[in-house]
Amino acid sequence: MDDDMVFDPSLKKKKKKKTGFDIDAALAGEQGESTSVEAPAGTGDVDLPEDDNLDLDNFGKKKKKKKKAVFNMEELESTLPETPPAEEPEQQEDEVIDDLDLDIDFSKTKKKKKKKNIEELVLEDDTKGEDQENVEDVSGDLWSGTDRDYTYDELLERVFDIMREKNPSMVSGKKQKFIMRPPQVVRIGTKKTSFANFTEICKTLHRQPKHLLDFLLAELGTSGSVDGNSQLIIKGRFQQKQIENVLRRYIKEYVTCHTCRSPDTILQKDTRLFFLQCETCGSRCSVASIKSGFQAVTGKRAAIRAKTA
Amino acid sequence: MSIQNLNTFDPFADAIKSSEDDVQDGLVHVRIQQRNGRKTLTTVQGLSSEYDLKKIVRACKKEFACNGTVVEHPEYGEVLQLQGDQRENICQWLTKSGLVKPEQLKVHGF
Repeated sequence: MDDDMVFDPSLKKKKKKKTGFDIDAALAGEQGESTSVEAPAGTGDVDLPEDDNLDLDNFGKKKKKKKKAVFNMEELESTLPETPPAEEPEQQEDEVIDDLDLDIDFSKTKKKKKKKNIEELVLEDDTKGEDQENVEDVSGDLWSGTDRDYTYDELLERVFDIMREKNPSMVSGKKQKFIMRPPQVVRIGTKKTSFANFTEICKTLHRQPKHLLDFLLAELGTSGSVDGNSQLIIKGRFQQKQIENVLRRYIKEYVTCHTCRSPDTILQKDTRLFFLQCETCGSRCSVASIKSGFQAVTGKRAAIRAKTA
Repeated sequence: MSIQNLNTFDPFADAIKSSEDDVQDGLVHVRIQQRNGRKTLTTVQGLSSEYDLKKIVRACKKEFACNGTVVEHPEYGEVLQLQGDQRENICQWLTKSGLVKPEQLKVHGF
């Protein structure tokens, strides 16, 4: 039932389009070709990609004429009940005109663009399911045999097809999983926490231990240091899950490339700013500097006063 | 055939809009600090000085049933302090009251 709900508005839209198109076609007569091209482009950018897929399919399949006749009838039936009764006669007339127009056009069979548009209007909902499967099949240049101009969306489709061909890993896995060992977090006494494999994690992330240390301490709002056997001692009680969360945020901000999300990056310092250089896609962008921000007084105020004075 | 590139597009449309109806600019940092035992402290830094922080803290104290205060800091301006882990509460409250947009909130801590 949901599908129906989704499709209903599109039907209405088509209706509008069609009427607009009819008027143009009726007025323009022979010049209908140019107006018909503009009609769908003007109605909404959102519809465009879909439309284009459709016409790709249609040109590939060459089923046009039969489908047109069948679905026009269906559409007639489906759209009429929705419209208020007062408008019914006019719309019926419109559709009659539309049919006539279609027939005239197809008898000529030279105007490919016009044909395309009509089919878009008629076949929109029916081929929606199909075109997702067919997009990959129709990778050839559809305009090569014809003398029409290629559209922007067709070119876009072509670029993406080529991209998919050249690097299949992008399609299949989207991205390789970045596997990391979980941080080993142990409590020391009641007030301190040890992050045992801290340097190991720094190595897997290819980051300076100092940078990660700064980030961790700033985020957790505590103090800490790396001890003799390369483990990090943080003041305060923390669980592994909490440290994991902070590490995840660190990786998102300072390790993975912001453009392609590859973890294969280098962090460089350039004129007081940190830059993240991606080794895979070559992008380079600045990352936020680590600031601990405001720290409230949590310890004993008397002790602080004694220190400063 | 209409060419999409030639359509008029105002790149500053959203910039103008956001500067008009918005007092808050810049990020609001919500942090948590551990105190002794399992006690914590939530700090909210970066709220616009246009807002009356005292009124905000008064409302928050009532809403979250916690104590709180406004601290003046030479570098960071006025900072809100609330007792306990109020990060979720304060984020929801700030967005719901329309003081801060969700994308301006930055939550720190574990």
